[in-house]
Amino acid sequence: MDLGIRIKDRHMWMVFVLPGVLLLVLVLGFPAITSLSYSIKPEKAGPSSYTLSNYTNLLKDPFFGKTFWNTAVFVFLSVASHMILGLAVAMVLNRALPAKPLFRLIALLPWVVPDVVAGIIWKWMFNPLYGALNDLLLKIGFISTQVEWLSNPKLALFSVILVNLWRGFPFVMLILLAGLQAIPRYLYEAAAIDGASKWQLFIHVTIPGLRKMIVVALALDIVWEVRRFGLIQAMTQGGPGILTEVLSTYTYKQYFQFFRFEYASAIAMVMTVVLLFVSLPYIWMISQEE
Amino acid sequence: MKTSSLLASEFPFKVIVWIFLIAVCLYCLFPFVWMLSTSFKTEAEAFRIPPTWVPMKPTVDSYIGIWVRKNFGIYFFNSTVISLATAVLSTFFGALAGYGFSRFFFRGRRFLIGFFLATQMLPGVLLVGPYFKILSRIGLYDTRTGLIVAFLTICLPFSTWMMKGFIDKVPVAMDQSAMVDGCSRLGIFFRIILPVVAPGMVATILFAFLLAWGDLLWALCLTSSEPMITVTLGIARTVGEFRIIWPMLMAGSLVGGMPAIILYIFLQRLLVQGLTAGAVKG
Repeated sequence: MDLGIRIKDRHMWMVFVLPGVLLLVLVLGFPAITSLSYSIKPEKAGPSSYTLSNYTNLLKDPFFGKTFWNTAVFVFLSVASHMILGLAVAMVLNRALPAKPLFRLIALLPWVVPDVVAGIIWKWMFNPLYGALNDLLLKIGFISTQVEWLSNPKLALFSVILVNLWRGFPFVMLILLAGLQAIPRYLYEAAAIDGASKWQLFIHVTIPGLRKMIVVALALDIVWEVRRFGLIQAMTQGGPGILTEVLSTYTYKQYFQFFRFEYASAIAMVMTVVLLFVSLPYIWMISQEE
Repeated sequence: MKTSSLLASEFPFKVIVWIFLIAVCLYCLFPFVWMLSTSFKTEAEAFRIPPTWVPMKPTVDSYIGIWVRKNFGIYFFNSTVISLATAVLSTFFGALAGYGFSRFFFRGRRFLIGFFLATQMLPGVLLVGPYFKILSRIGLYDTRTGLIVAFLTICLPFSTWMMKGFIDKVPVAMDQSAMVDGCSRLGIFFRIILPVVAPGMVATILFAFLLAWGDLLWALCLTSSEPMITVTLGIARTVGEFRIIWPMLMAGSLVGGMPAIILYIFLQRLLVQGLTAGAVKG
């Protein structure tokens, strides 16, 4: 009977899936192709209508190189710290605790507010003279003079990453907590009976049980951190100089401050290729399961 | 039994866990407390050295000022309309596609699922340039409609994936019994599936709403005039002004972040379920 019903209306999938697909192609696929075509257009009208000069100019642009490096540092440190803190908090929250929902809610708050709001709160926290952070650190004797969190060239990028740690770890925590709750208790009990230490439990039960969730959290987090825009725009706008400039803010500037659409599109294309490459294992894993 | 005795034997470990937990809570909450405190200060007090932690003469001037001296009312209206329209549209189309992916096994299904997933990965800056040009040409630049269309690019893939996760959990037997009773596929979808996954739809609408509400990039690139801008852009513009009035900015940020915070407090469980059902299936 099951089979009979399926065969009878098996073409109905189009009614459900095609509106979404067509809409996606229209609002997303079409502009993406447009962007690709911008990126191979010469900036100044010349003899040829197609060129790779935007891409070769990228390689010659020292700002692009610096921005690319900043993005790599920003994404790597952000994601690594998200994973470590996220896992630690998830493991703590997975224990039998009183008031667990309250703690989970508090830990989620930084992730909930808009990017801009997060950036602005911390810009004010970081204010060398009137901000709370320096005052706090001075009072507990951790520092002896005011720290220029966002304008010291050596510190600026790391200050931004510190904020991004605050902002982004709750998501990883959430995903990993769901993963931890799905690991059957008897696995721990069986291993404990066999005399496994806490560390062995962690390495041989927790981590393997979380493998899939770790892949998911890693992939999504990397993609989100590469695209991160509002936080940095609100806090530093890429400054001082280009010390906290990342690819997304740099592309935005090329588009809307210098109006170099072709060049900006080439940067965006580079970002897209990197993102698709990074997320390929995730996409592969998920679509194979289907 | 076994586990409780395990826990009892590790008293120092427990203390470390609690210290860690409290430190994390302070890290998470401290900036919000600072924001709250500043928002109740006078402008003069905000610029005191060293800063005061509790306002000496608490005032709600800033909370009045954002509505009276700034156009927060307009920003709020715009953000609400735009985010709600985006959320409802993307959840509706997402539910349709999600049902299709969940119940039909057709040729090219895997490819289309991969396509939906891949579109989630595209960076916004790839699309804002073409959007700016296209919307300008068809007269939708600096309109709420233009922004709604643009936000569909962020929200539709997410909504589809999340709705598919919820629909996957509904047993196929429900479809089949309705079919035996002579119900059409669309009838099943609207009359059986949608009511069953209503909590999931609420979660999806919320998530899409928050995605749209929290955006800055698209609002920055596709709107410009005061009557059209959103809360996030309104806040971001204040930072660019020559003289930043911090208490007012903090009040604005708090009010602008409030819808998100309130929605999460009340619907935390639903959203966590949605995120882990869609993005992550157990």
